[in-house]
Amino acid sequence: MRIRMQYLIAAQTLCGVLLGTLLATPAFGIGKPYPGPYVENDDLLMVLIPHTPEQMAAFYEARGFPEEAIKLISDACFVTVHIKNKSRRVIWLETVNWRFSSNNQPLQRLGSNYWNTRWDEIKLPLANRATFGWTQLPVQRDLQPDEPVGGNIVFEGNLKTFNLDARFLTGANKRGGMLDINFQNIKCPKEEPRP
Amino acid sequence: MKTALSHYLPACLLILISLPAFTETLPPGVMRINGTTAPELQLNNLDGEPYDLKATQGHWRFVHFWASWCGPCRKEMPSIERMIAALGDNELEIVLINTAETEDEVFTFLGIVAPELVPLMDRDGQVTEVWQPRGLPATYLVDPAGKIQYQALGGRTWEKPVYLKFLRGLNQLESQPGQ
Repeated sequence: MRIRMQYLIAAQTLCGVLLGTLLATPAFGIGKPYPGPYVENDDLLMVLIPHTPEQMAAFYEARGFPEEAIKLISDACFVTVHIKNKSRRVIWLETVNWRFSSNNQPLQRLGSNYWNTRWDEIKLPLANRATFGWTQLPVQRDLQPDEPVGGNIVFEGNLKTFNLDARFLTGANKRGGMLDINFQNIKCPKEEPRP
Repeated sequence: MKTALSHYLPACLLILISLPAFTETLPPGVMRINGTTAPELQLNNLDGEPYDLKATQGHWRFVHFWASWCGPCRKEMPSIERMIAALGDNELEIVLINTAETEDEVFTFLGIVAPELVPLMDRDGQVTEVWQPRGLPATYLVDPAGKIQYQALGGRTWEKPVYLKFLRGLNQLESQPGQ
């Protein structure tokens, strides 16, 4: 859908300057303003919130997901990503420009193809599929000024830690420069052993 | 000279009159969209009564997608209820669509958060899929001819004056001073 921000036409026209590559590193404030590792600068806020298998199972169980689906979900590592465009220009969320790694090796996410195959196998009802879909991070979004986006990214459950190098293009025509955000040593939390 | 003036003056006046349309100021988080035709929307509401968006042509429609598990939706729903109360009878049709939840989930949630609202039930989420919102919550403003003219990004505080004025303005039903 072609979208136009009426009140930003002038600002976006003037905003054709190259921004340069901004390398941000995670900041961990003493007061912990967000529930996970985050990067915040003048352009965007990005927060990663890793979840335990118990947390994810509880969430989807409460939405009526069948046991087979809960098992698959519990076997994976879910990290909720929250991003907000704090700038006055478009910032492009395109996960194709994100690089995940673990132990210096590229790391693949369990993306929509993986989940659709699993859901086909267990004949997951459409309503559950829809809910699962809406809880995943979109693969692409032209984030408008002040627009938030959120959703889960998922990995194999045996993953312990990972790094993320996320690149964002900016400007309505993607020619406004790049933002590079780096997260290191993000942990996939496991269930605490029961006493 | 006189001929040229009389030739160009109406054109200049027309441009001046049209200027406000090009400098439209929208409330925060509301985007103008290029008037795409709204997809089909035929659902039953929570009470089982059928609804068809096409049957309400001739009015502006506030089409809102939400789910009770979505944090911003939970925050926004009471604001929508207050917005409806504040707007009164201004011919803005409010269409709330719950995405892929059960009657029990919706009934329990709205009973606590916004008991006056009766949403449409997109039980399998397929109507929402067709509309393809940018995320949940999502609000579209559909004009009387059935074209989507505006979209709101994420949750909004609809009961605030800036949004009420904008929504009333859709029907040129500006409120009385002091209201």
